[in-house]
Amino acid sequence: MTMTKYTTSKHIVVYADDDPDDVELVQEAFEQFASNVEVITFSDGSRALSYLRNLAEADPLPCLIILDINMPVLNGKETLLRLRQLDKYDNVPVVLFTTSSMPVDRQFATHNNAGFVTKPLGFEQMEMITHSFIDHCSEETQKKIRRMG
Amino acid sequence: MTLCEFSLLPEEEKTALLYEQGVYIGKRKRGGTTVLLYQLEGFYAEVYYRQYRRVVDRIRCFAGTERLDPYLTEIDVEHLV
Repeated sequence: MTMTKYTTSKHIVVYADDDPDDVELVQEAFEQFASNVEVITFSDGSRALSYLRNLAEADPLPCLIILDINMPVLNGKETLLRLRQLDKYDNVPVVLFTTSSMPVDRQFATHNNAGFVTKPLGFEQMEMITHSFIDHCSEETQKKIRRMG
Repeated sequence: MTLCEFSLLPEEEKTALLYEQGVYIGKRKRGGTTVLLYQLEGFYAEVYYRQYRRVVDRIRCFAGTERLDPYLTEIDVEHLV
């Protein structure tokens, strides 16, 4: 039997990245929406996938899943492929958030119905990226997040 | 773009170019400073941060592989063993 794992009225963003500095960066980026968004982090794709697989019917699905590409155990690309095999995540937006800017990685994301965002190098890019993450959520979710941010 | 041409660009343009065309190589910590290493065509550029991925302190570029050693020690090969 699957247990209910999470009860919150907030929108859930799942983020998997093995780099603690980048985890902190993304958590900070979402702080402006903290009243409405909860970021749940994992240090590799396998842990994130395990969490997502074990969500009960009653648990809210995340509004966005962010995956680093280069992670130990299960990288972001493999995690994305496995997620796309799960029916309940058909419509959940996924973004590959990576140090890569290589066309081959971008094509992989597009081919698997995921967004692609290169990790920022400076402040202005970071501001854009926060909004870019939210742009990947459904229209209804975007409105709710931005209204209450 | 040569190393010399790159080094003459304003910092914002360097950052934008690295973001769009740079290949990320690695990361290291130097005291309280985080440094990211990128490769761009035939040279390397190190981005020194005052605040990680937000406030750039300086960008240092170089050719050759001698200065790559600090990054090699940061590579975790445990999962390959």
